[in-house]
Amino acid sequence: MTATEVQPSQGDTRARPGPRALPAAAALAVLVAALAVLPLVSSDSRLFTMTQMFMAITIASSWNLTGGFTGYVDFGHVVFFGIGAYGTGIVMNKWHWPFLPALLLGAVAAAVFAVLVGSATLRLRGPYFSIAMLGTYGAMREIVRVWKPVTGGGSGLSLPLVHNRPIFYYVTLVLLVVFLAAIWWMRRTQYGASLVAIREDEIGAEMRGINTTVTKASIFTMAGFVTGIVGGLWAYQNTFISPTIVFVEGTTIDAVMMSMLGGLGTVAGPVIGGALIFWLRDVVWARFLDYHLMVQGAVLILVVLYFPEGIVGRLSRRRGAVSLAHLWRRRRADASSPPDES
Amino acid sequence: MTRLLQATINGVMLGGFYAVVALGFSLVWGVLGVINLAHGELVMLGAYITWVMSRDYGWEPFLAAIVVAPVMFVFGYVLQRVLINRVIDKPHLTSLLVTYGLAIIIGNAVKLKYDATPRSVTTALRGFWPLGDDITVPVTKFWVLVSALVLMTSLWAFLRWTRLGASIRAASQNREAAKIVGIEIGRVYALTFALGAVLAGFAGLLASPIQPIFPLMGPVLTLKSFVIVAMAGLGRIDGVFYGGILLGLVEVYAATYVPEVGTNVGVISSFVLLVAVLVLRPQGLFRGLKAAR
Amino acid sequence: MHTRRSRRGLSATLAIMTFTGATVATGSAIATTEPAAGECAGTIRFGAAVSETGRYEREGKDTREGYQLWEEWVNGEYGGIKVGDECYNAEVIYYDDESDADRVANLTERLITEDEVDFLLGPYASDLTMGASAIAEQHGVIMVEGNGASEAIFERGFKNVFGVLTPGGDYTKSALEALAAAGAETVVIAYEDAAFPTSVAEGAERWAEEFGLEVLATESYPEGVTDVSAIMTNFRDLDPDVFIGGGHFNDALLFVRGAEELGFEPDAMIITVGPSNPDFVAELGDSANGVIGPTQWEREMTWEDEYFGTAEEYAARYEEAYGHEPTYQAAESTATALTLQIAIEQAGSIETDAVRQALLDLDVTTFYGPINFDDTGKNAAKPMGFIQIQDGEIRLVGPAEVADAELQYPLGE
Repeated sequence: MTATEVQPSQGDTRARPGPRALPAAAALAVLVAALAVLPLVSSDSRLFTMTQMFMAITIASSWNLTGGFTGYVDFGHVVFFGIGAYGTGIVMNKWHWPFLPALLLGAVAAAVFAVLVGSATLRLRGPYFSIAMLGTYGAMREIVRVWKPVTGGGSGLSLPLVHNRPIFYYVTLVLLVVFLAAIWWMRRTQYGASLVAIREDEIGAEMRGINTTVTKASIFTMAGFVTGIVGGLWAYQNTFISPTIVFVEGTTIDAVMMSMLGGLGTVAGPVIGGALIFWLRDVVWARFLDYHLMVQGAVLILVVLYFPEGIVGRLSRRRGAVSLAHLWRRRRADASSPPDES
Repeated sequence: MTRLLQATINGVMLGGFYAVVALGFSLVWGVLGVINLAHGELVMLGAYITWVMSRDYGWEPFLAAIVVAPVMFVFGYVLQRVLINRVIDKPHLTSLLVTYGLAIIIGNAVKLKYDATPRSVTTALRGFWPLGDDITVPVTKFWVLVSALVLMTSLWAFLRWTRLGASIRAASQNREAAKIVGIEIGRVYALTFALGAVLAGFAGLLASPIQPIFPLMGPVLTLKSFVIVAMAGLGRIDGVFYGGILLGLVEVYAATYVPEVGTNVGVISSFVLLVAVLVLRPQGLFRGLKAAR
Repeated sequence: MHTRRSRRGLSATLAIMTFTGATVATGSAIATTEPAAGECAGTIRFGAAVSETGRYEREGKDTREGYQLWEEWVNGEYGGIKVGDECYNAEVIYYDDESDADRVANLTERLITEDEVDFLLGPYASDLTMGASAIAEQHGVIMVEGNGASEAIFERGFKNVFGVLTPGGDYTKSALEALAAAGAETVVIAYEDAAFPTSVAEGAERWAEEFGLEVLATESYPEGVTDVSAIMTNFRDLDPDVFIGGGHFNDALLFVRGAEELGFEPDAMIITVGPSNPDFVAELGDSANGVIGPTQWEREMTWEDEYFGTAEEYAARYEEAYGHEPTYQAAESTATALTLQIAIEQAGSIETDAVRQALLDLDVTTFYGPINFDDTGKNAAKPMGFIQIQDGEIRLVGPAEVADAELQYPLGE
């Protein structure tokens, strides 16, 4: 599938923007500009919703790095969110650290945890990895609960009160944009190709000289780090953390659903899936109060069974279709394929 | 010493219950290759059926087995044909996610019907038997343990000595060969899943007099089943039993001997055990023991 | 060959569409009762995010019904909130917070910034109240709540949050006092490791010491525990007079069954959540007998006010409106709204500072009990009631001034 797209032996066929790149880039720029000025016209609660959405998409994108790109489906991903949140919260509560160093500490703690846990669990394949991560999540939740002197136990910890919706909005937006750009760039590097190679055929990748252990560990750590940052930000904005509201299974499931719905292993997938799910939740499902969880369960089943490539995946496969997808075309070393008219 | 003995009794009882819970899960995973994350919900359904029979019709809970078995069998059979069948050949992630979605649907459907109030049933077999000075044997849990042993032995006998059992074993060992030999795989899968559902339902019945039952009780039980199957290795009924006992003992010993936060530590241990077994000995802990298939 | 990049433009467009959708979308309010058409000068808006779905949905529904009962009464029979010479209708805007921390914070903020409510009525449960109260404080909007008893809510130095219910630390006070007076000497405590039960347990330890009871052991357990046999065994070996168990309804069932099957028979069992709920007796049958449970309010209590009358009259009114008995969650919700109304009337204004001062100065008895806030916003004046299951019935045995049955101690056999 995708492993064939990047083959160093055939010359430099790495993807580059094609002739139709400019209009799409302009569309994107318009979008980002619109988002940038939103705080000037929007209410605090609307900004809050957007911030929550940016955070969810960031988590989904980072999950997607290991789950979608590399094929290691992490069922306990929220553990990194929790460690980031608690790392930040503990030093702010106990030692009165200012926010930015605290955030960094929380994210680094999550990354270190990823290194440690990954060294054990990344050796497992398929569902065993997923379940081992689920177990890790469960264990950490209860460990945090038990370790009362440090974490405040089940009663939780309060963080200093702060209220500035626009700042959180911008920070999470910038984080998301930068992160997505980084993923977009990474996908076009050798490193990105090796992730996909691991997903498609790990043993083969190993034989071709890719150091799968280091590659897996590094992407896992990066995913943990970014998710940890989101955790720290969330903690600060929420002003309160406790095991039951931080280590929530739903966060992992959301990340999985958003990535699947949007398209596993794509850059735009978690974004589209995330925005769609947020919109659905707010507008559609809120009307079916008693049923909305059941609806979500049914949607999950339908997506997984009938729509596994997700929106982006489904759309990119249409051949000759008149669509905006053709705005981007990879320039091949060997051909001048006629661009479709849109 | 008496403390240890009492803790051991408590642990074995709890473990016996856990083993029954894990039985159906192990069967379905071993034969169909499907990790059914809705397994806990099937247990929950069995518990609710028992509760309804007890509350609305005054039945003794243990007797509700007569109702639980056919209802769960039909439900499981239909579920397999309609949904589970579609994930059998797909990657594991698919079956995990589909069954997870199913779990959400079943859990919330029951919540809609019966609301989230925790329920309990009262059985005539309750109280305790004193054993020496400071030791008591809980009556209900004792009968749960006995039922667990009966179920496990029956399952083993069924698999070993009946034709259908042989077909199931064949299907789990080598699907293609089983087909060649003339085994109708689709039917075997459906029956196996239905059987797994019945076992889950029985586990729910056994749960109802000893724990509160409520619509969202499933996930915890599914996770414990996971731990046990990981420890037992796939397809090992005796492994499930030993794994269940081990888990029960670990939890109760931790809760008994760790001051103040013992119960918390017990719960942590079950998670840690899961990860440790998966990482260190993925084929299960009881490999070396005599096969009992 | 179509490549991933060909999705880029499409995805940009999709993203624009979905983001637009997300920003334009508004949540749905689930129920807004129309203010009674009438002669009043205006409308005072109240906001309430309650749990219609999720793990708190039962109590959340009770909470909403409590608020609605007040709303209908104040607009109808009472004739509107009286501010100075004018009357004002009350309009309550409700949202479902789905028992979720993020939702409750979001919805509380929406109520303030988009629906522009004047005051907030609190959600159900301590952890949700923690989140909602932070938002209220950040925006400088007064929130009165009646369903979050954790002490932590009042320890954050907030000025705008007031709780009418007896705080968690005092849950066991009146029961322990009565038991100590009846001869109890030793106590064991088991509690779920979460905000509210921890408050209760810490309070229990404090009051036990105060009343001369010795705490022999304290054990905690995590949320969702399925087996407490080890705790019960350890306690049994200590042979205490009083057992105190705190958590949620689940745990109540576990404790009673666990005690039964291990032969643990203390002279008194206090369980903090469960016994005062009729479902407790329904589920446990005669195993429930003798269990003591703290309760914020029972209809047999003889509190009385000029608005809803006696507790019994309130209960009758509630039953007529909703067809079932009021739980204490419903009563405390009505009391919450009533308290805010009284404060507004006493302040003669809807200005936040004036109403806040009126709340701080408030000293009144309602059908729900006495209300008098200390300067952290806690209602320090209301004693906790407690009931005991006697012969399969819930009997009010304390506090002494409003009890109508006698505490059985020690339990027989």
